[in-house]
Amino acid sequence: MTSLGIIIGVTSVILLTSIGNGLKKYVTDQFDSLGANSIFISPGRVFNDNGGFSQSGAIMTTSFSLKDVTNLKRKLDNVEITPANGVFVDISSPFNTQKSIEIDGSTQNFGINNNLAPSEGNGRWFTEEENSKKTPVIILGYQLAQDLFPNSSALGKKVIVKGKTLKVIGVSDKKGSSFGGPSFDKQGYIPLNVAFDLAGNNDIQSIIVKAKNKDSIESTKKQITKIMLEKYDEDAFSVFDSSQLLSSINSIISVLTISLTGIAAISLVVGGIGIMNIMLVSVTERTREIGLRKAIGAYPRAILIQFLIEAVILSCIGGTTGILLGYLGTLAIKSFFPAQVTISSVILAFGVSSLVGIIFGVAPARKASKLSPIEALRYE
Amino acid sequence: MTKLLSPNNRNIILELKNITKTYTTGTNSFNALDGINLKIYEGEFISITGPSGSGKSTLMHIIGLLDNPTSGEVNLNGRNIAKLKEHQLAQIRNVTLGFVFQQFNLLAKTSSLENVLLPLLYSDVPKRDRQKIGLDLLAKVGLQDKTNNTPAQLSGGQQQRVAIARALVNNPKIILADEPTGNLDSKSGEDVMKFFHQLNEKEGRTIVFVTHDMDLAKEANRTIIIKDGKILEEKHA
Repeated sequence: MTSLGIIIGVTSVILLTSIGNGLKKYVTDQFDSLGANSIFISPGRVFNDNGGFSQSGAIMTTSFSLKDVTNLKRKLDNVEITPANGVFVDISSPFNTQKSIEIDGSTQNFGINNNLAPSEGNGRWFTEEENSKKTPVIILGYQLAQDLFPNSSALGKKVIVKGKTLKVIGVSDKKGSSFGGPSFDKQGYIPLNVAFDLAGNNDIQSIIVKAKNKDSIESTKKQITKIMLEKYDEDAFSVFDSSQLLSSINSIISVLTISLTGIAAISLVVGGIGIMNIMLVSVTERTREIGLRKAIGAYPRAILIQFLIEAVILSCIGGTTGILLGYLGTLAIKSFFPAQVTISSVILAFGVSSLVGIIFGVAPARKASKLSPIEALRYE
Repeated sequence: MTKLLSPNNRNIILELKNITKTYTTGTNSFNALDGINLKIYEGEFISITGPSGSGKSTLMHIIGLLDNPTSGEVNLNGRNIAKLKEHQLAQIRNVTLGFVFQQFNLLAKTSSLENVLLPLLYSDVPKRDRQKIGLDLLAKVGLQDKTNNTPAQLSGGQQQRVAIARALVNNPKIILADEPTGNLDSKSGEDVMKFFHQLNEKEGRTIVFVTHDMDLAKEANRTIIIKDGKILEEKHA
């Protein structure tokens, strides 16, 4: 009962940090599955100077062309370059219509580079030949396939986009939704040249460059920037890799976690006041005991330490219970939300609760240590 | 009690010089002790008596270093204690003095043995020796079979014997007892007094006890009668 405030405080601190950390790990995993070593070139400024997302980033002021792609291909060695063109269209099956679906036009490498290529039994990605011949084929995201063909397999079926009939040749594996990014499960993928026809222009909205390895990401990015600057303004395009995107999202999650944890910490302070209250009552109730201890030789410090330790034990019991409850709560949340208890949050919570014990135990303990022995012994 | 003390041949263990203790409430001040001079010699058995409100308990507190006099000097073993710090006083109370109270003042949820060992928490007796010291003392007061009992499971007389064992645990030179028989039936009270005599005669410990009972006070070698904060009379047995 005494430690209830501390229990609630520690439980919520643990829970919130677990959710924050789980979220971070989830996002990281998502980005890893997006394809490591990928460098994205996109129009407009995506990041501001502080590493956060730029406000104007969403507005695509420029677009690239196939010329840029060939230019990059010519000047960069040893990298794979995939252009991409996304359009938002309505897509219909014989069963229903899905509105405003993002359909990405790209090349034959896009599927493998982004882990989107269908696995065995779910069809295949399109070929280079299908791209150059503008063969009307489409690969559906997992969710999109389910939505369009609720009761049967989408493979081999036809869908209609902007009056054009496309044959479903593959269904991507389930990717799950990604935070802050598009859901790959609700997208379709078609050959770039088919996309040009659908969009009515030959614009390329983003170019993905696959660096050889992690170490060459930075140097490749510099090269790309140099090449792109020949044609475009500094503000007209952005070159970034997934780690940059990741750190931006992570910094947002961190700020959220810290502020939520801060709110939870308030209940720790309230819990501390509860402990102080109980300890003050305890000092009053045990006035005679304190008097006796002093009479038989307890020095003031010994009494101070005794009561401090009791306060710390009380708050640590609360802290331990809170950690346990937080852990159990995290296990419960885990089934429908990413959450992860970290050692550091446990250590922090335990440290803070013992600190609360010390801070709020000092006043009662000092009071006890300063009692006069005779008055304390006479106390009824 | 024919054995006459010859105080002059002994060392003074505690000396009070012109002690006053004044309590002030608002504009009224009241002298609980008023110019007390007292010499206590090593190995004495002293009783302090007087009507209630006479100042005998206040005097006891000053002898026991639990309270500071308003003026005057307290010398323990020739050392003026006025300049000592609180923790030094606590150490003297711990090692040199042993207290026995009217209310026993045992810790309720704690066994007899742990109660006896309580003062050792604040002393430098090695941990491994403590248990044996406690058990020996409980045997000495006849409670060897009650070591694990809590105070609630003991009679008043037994509780006071635990308290006496506790007072002896640091082998003190002086035992101070404030109405030690006040809460006991006459039989238990006699046992306690008998025990004090033994401690005094066989072990040479100095014993000072406060009582309002004149008959009991006469059991001491020297009786100090105080009234209105002054020593009215000293009687030698």
